[in-house]
Amino acid sequence: MGTTLKNSIQLIIRHNTIVIFLIMLLVSAMMSDAFFTANNLSNLIRQLAPVGIVSMGMLLVILTGGIDLSVGSVVAMAGVLIALFSQSMPLSVAVLAALGSGVLAGAVSGYLVSYQKIAPFIATLALMTIVRGCGFIFSKGAPIMVDDQAAALTDFGSGRTLGIPNPAIVLFIVFAITAILLKYNVFGRILIATGSNEEAVHLSGIKVHLYKFSVYAIIGGLAALAGIISTARTSVGSPNLGVGMELDVIAAVVIGGTSLKGGKGSAINTFLGVLILGMMGNVMNLLDITAYSQQIIKGVIIILAVLLQRFQDK
Amino acid sequence: MENKSLTNRVELRNIAKSFGGVAALKDVTLKAMPGEIHALMGENGAGKSTLMKILSGVHQKDKGQIFIDGEEAHIKNTFDSKKLGIGIIYQEFSLVPDLSVAENIFLNRLGENGWWLKRKKLNQEAAGLIESIGFTIDPSVKVNRLSIAQQQVVEIAKALSENIKVLILDEPSAVLGPTEVLKLFDTLFKLKKNGVAIIYISHHLSEIFKIADRVTVIKDGTSSETLDVANTDKDTIIRMMLGRTLNAMFPPRETAVGKEVLRAENIGIAGKVKNVSLQVNEGEVLGIAGLVGSGRTETVRAIFAADKRTAGTVFIHEKKVAFASPVDAVKHGIGMVPENRKLQGVILSLPIKENISLTNLKGISNGLGFINAPKETGNADSLIKKLNIKAPNGDLATGKLSGGNQQKVVLAKWANTNCKVMIIDEPTRGVDVGAKVEIYKLINDLAAQGVATLVISSETAELMGICDRILVMREGQIQGELNKTEFTEENILRLSIGAH
Repeated sequence: MGTTLKNSIQLIIRHNTIVIFLIMLLVSAMMSDAFFTANNLSNLIRQLAPVGIVSMGMLLVILTGGIDLSVGSVVAMAGVLIALFSQSMPLSVAVLAALGSGVLAGAVSGYLVSYQKIAPFIATLALMTIVRGCGFIFSKGAPIMVDDQAAALTDFGSGRTLGIPNPAIVLFIVFAITAILLKYNVFGRILIATGSNEEAVHLSGIKVHLYKFSVYAIIGGLAALAGIISTARTSVGSPNLGVGMELDVIAAVVIGGTSLKGGKGSAINTFLGVLILGMMGNVMNLLDITAYSQQIIKGVIIILAVLLQRFQDK
Repeated sequence: MENKSLTNRVELRNIAKSFGGVAALKDVTLKAMPGEIHALMGENGAGKSTLMKILSGVHQKDKGQIFIDGEEAHIKNTFDSKKLGIGIIYQEFSLVPDLSVAENIFLNRLGENGWWLKRKKLNQEAAGLIESIGFTIDPSVKVNRLSIAQQQVVEIAKALSENIKVLILDEPSAVLGPTEVLKLFDTLFKLKKNGVAIIYISHHLSEIFKIADRVTVIKDGTSSETLDVANTDKDTIIRMMLGRTLNAMFPPRETAVGKEVLRAENIGIAGKVKNVSLQVNEGEVLGIAGLVGSGRTETVRAIFAADKRTAGTVFIHEKKVAFASPVDAVKHGIGMVPENRKLQGVILSLPIKENISLTNLKGISNGLGFINAPKETGNADSLIKKLNIKAPNGDLATGKLSGGNQQKVVLAKWANTNCKVMIIDEPTRGVDVGAKVEIYKLINDLAAQGVATLVISSETAELMGICDRILVMREGQIQGELNKTEFTEENILRLSIGAH
C-alpha cells in the first residue's frame, strides 16, 4: 500500500504538467458552466493560437540555452506589414513578405547571439525596441484595417475547417512539426545537446553556431506567422499588438517544465503550458475576476507550477 | 580502548551507507594519526567519494561511528564538518571564479570584520597563506584567470585558513605537472609536521610510495587492512585493488609505422605556443609530455581548430589544409578526446547512445535528418560492447557512469567515425586502474588499425607505456624528442623543466 502511494506520487511528479493541466481543466469546469461550451472552447483555442505558435519557437530557443524577448514586437510588425502589403500585392506574396520580415528580424538576433556572442537577453532586448519602432514607422503609428481586396485573409482568420477554427489548425501543425523535429530529427537532437553542453557539441565537429543562429530565425518566422494570424482574426494590423507577449510565451514554456538553462523540455509539455495559461485567463474572465487580480493569480500559479517541477529534478 | 582512540586524529569505524538500496559503503574502517599521510586507494566506484562526502557532511552515514581526536563526532551538515576541523579538496574545485584569490580564501568569513571589505588586509593575509605553502600567486587576481594548478593552491590555502585537523585530498595531483606535484608534496609535509592528519586519495602508486606512511584500499565499499607503505610494494597494492599486476597495465604492442598522416609546421599561438612542429604516422602513437601550462593542450587544440592559431600550417596526407573550426577538422578525419571530460567531452544529462551518435549523426539519419532509432541503438550497443562500457544499455544517462566509463564513451564517439588521426588529451585523468588498462588497450587497437594517434599526458609512466615517440614541451616550445630507447622518467622530467 505504502509503495503504491509512493509510486503514484512519483508518477504525478514526473508528469506534473499533465497533472496541472487536468486540475486546471477540472477547476475550470467546476467553477464556470460556460467553460465547457463548444463556443467558449473554440474561441479560447482561436485566441491562444498566436501565443501557442510563438511558444513552439521559444521552446527551441530556450532549449539551446537562449531567450528571445523580441517576439511581441515581431508579431506587431508582421501584423502591420500583412495589412499594409495586402493592399497592393497578391495575398500570397504579402504573406511571404510579412513572414520574411520576421525571419529577418530573428536572423539579426541570431547573428548577434551566435556569431557576435552577445547575451541573448541583451541582443533580443535591443531587437525588441528596434522592431517595435519599425512597426510604428510602417503603420505611421495608427492601426491599419485589412483592405477589402484581401478578404481571403480575414475569411481565413475567422473561418473554420472541419469545424475547427483555422488559427487553431495552424497552431496544431506548428506543434506537430516541432514535436516531430525534437523527437525524431537530428535538428532537435542537436538543439538539446547544445543547451546541455555547447562545448562538447562544438568539439564533436557540429556547426553549433549555425544551429543557434537558426532557432532565432525560426522563432522570428513563427512570431511573424502569429502576427499574420492575429491580423487575419481581427482585420486590423496594430503596432501596439503583442506588448508583453514575450512574458506569456516564456511563462507557457516554463510551466511546461522547460529548463531555462537549456537542454531540457518537450513540445507536448509546452503545448500543455500554453493551454494551462490560456485556461487560467479564460476562466477568470468567465468568473468576472478583475484584470488586476487576474495578474496576481497568474503569477502565483506560475510560481506554484515551477516549484512543483523542482521535485522532479530531485 | 579509550586511550587508543585518543591517539588517532580521525577514526572511522565500520561506516556503511546505501543509496536507495544500493550499498555504496558496506564496512569501512580507517584511522589516521596526527602527522600521518594516509593513502586511500581504490578503483572509481569503490566508495571513496561517498566516504569523503560523509566526512564533509554532504551525506549522512547509515551505520558506524566517526571520532575526531577520540571524541565521537556527529556530522549532520557541512558546517559541522568545518567546525570539527575537516578540510576537503575535491577534484572539482569549489571556488567562485569571479572573486579574487583572497576573497575566495576568506569567503565564509568576509563578514567577520564588519560590513566593509578590508581588501588590503585580506590580500596580505592571503599572500601569507599562499607563501607558507611555497607558492606565489597575486591574491588580488580573479580566480578565473588562474591555471588549474594555481586554483588548487588556492583551494589548499582556503582549507588552511581554517584551523584544520584533518585534510582530505581527492586526486590532487591529477591536475598538476611534475614540478607542481613536488611543491604539493612539500606543502603536505609541512602540514604533516603541524600535526594535521592527511588522507590522500590517489590512483598514482608512485606517489603513494613517495609520500604516504600507511595505505588503506577500498574495494566494493569495504576497506582492507591498513598496510605500512614501507613494508609493501606496488604489486601488492594493485592486487588488493583489482587482482592484477603492474606489468599487465600496458598491453604489449607491435608497431608497424606507415606513411605520414598528420604534419603540423611551426604552429604558433600568441603568448602561448611558438614554432611547434610535429608529425604523426599511420599506426604510430606519439606522446606529448610537459608541465601543465607548457602549451601541450593549446597546440593540439589549435591543430583541431578548436582555438585560433596565429601561425603555422597543417598537412593531412601531405596536403595543406586550412580548418576554420572543428567541423572541418572532423571532416578531414581528425578526432579529439578533450582534456576536460565533463565540460568538453560528454553531455552528462544525455543518454550514452546520444553522446556516441553526436560525431556521426549522418550515419544514423536519412537525408532529411530523421533518426533511424533501431540503427542508432544497434550502433551504440555494439560500441558499448566493444569498448566494454559498463552500462545495461545505451539509454542510461552518461552522468550516471563512473569517470572511466565516461571516458570510454568519449572514445566511443570517435570509434564511431572513420577518423585517421586521434588526438587524446589526458586519456586517463581521474580514471581507475581497471579502466586505464582498457583505455590503453583501445589506444593500441586504434594504432593497430592504422590510426595516427597523438596522446598528451601528465603521467610519464603512461606515455612511456603506450607511445612510440615522445615530444617534450616547455614554455610553448618543443624541447626535445625521445625515441623508445631513450624513454626514462628522468629524461622526460629534465626536458620538461629545462634542466638538460
